[in-house]
Amino acid sequence: MARRVELTRVYHFSAAHCLANPGLGAADNAALYGPCARPHGHNYYLEVTVAGVPDPLTGFAVDLERLDRTVTCSLLDQVDHHRLEDAPVLAGVITTGEGLARAFWQTLRDALPAGELQQVVVQETAKNRFEYRGEEA
Amino acid sequence: MSARAFTTRRFAFSAGHRYHVAQWSADENTRAFGRLTVPHGHNYTLDVTVRGPIDPRTGMVIDLGELKRIVQATVIERFDHADLNADELFRERVPTTENIALAVWELLAPALGPDRLARVRVWEDPTLFVDYDGR
Repeated sequence: MARRVELTRVYHFSAAHCLANPGLGAADNAALYGPCARPHGHNYYLEVTVAGVPDPLTGFAVDLERLDRTVTCSLLDQVDHHRLEDAPVLAGVITTGEGLARAFWQTLRDALPAGELQQVVVQETAKNRFEYRGEEA
Repeated sequence: MSARAFTTRRFAFSAGHRYHVAQWSADENTRAFGRLTVPHGHNYTLDVTVRGPIDPRTGMVIDLGELKRIVQATVIERFDHADLNADELFRERVPTTENIALAVWELLAPALGPDRLARVRVWEDPTLFVDYDGR
């Protein structure tokens, strides 16, 4: 019986952002987002969960080096110590935790082998955690 | 009635291991595993999640003292300050975090019952964990 495990890797990045809907003026954005409309930053944690069956020889369900390389090259390099609004993977995204989780999901889903990605979590602060598991079929 | 309540208790064990496939040459092992072929160790964290109805008498899914005794006796005493490669559970498989999660499940499922054991989560360090839920 092939037994499937889920492996989660926790990554970290620090970035600046501000929340703004480009369709609204400054006053409306300030009213909508409050202090989050001002440029500020966070120490983010990003959890990436992938599924696989441990290889009978190596015991690896996932090539961790490949996963780290994929996450680093396709995401972290663009966001760590950057303004999130400048990251190509976040073009047009309102950088709420939900928005980041969905955008990161879409990037990683395309960058990883089909069906491997199970969940993306963006932890914005110790109090705010955002999980994204893809779209309903 | 299906049970929808879950209780998780956290445990810890420190253990040594190395990644090594017996059928492979030293070169092949180094190519596949790099520095992980060298014996080293981790402070593992184990989260055990139990599911079940909430007992109307006790208000509990499981007595946490009972859970602690079971996990202690079946997993922690076996793996804490142990060489995982010397354990017969890892005679036929490399003690990767994935395989440790499967082995912990194999030890706990008979003790708790597979219908009660909901998930085991093994943390190798704060940046990596593996979940197994029996599927």
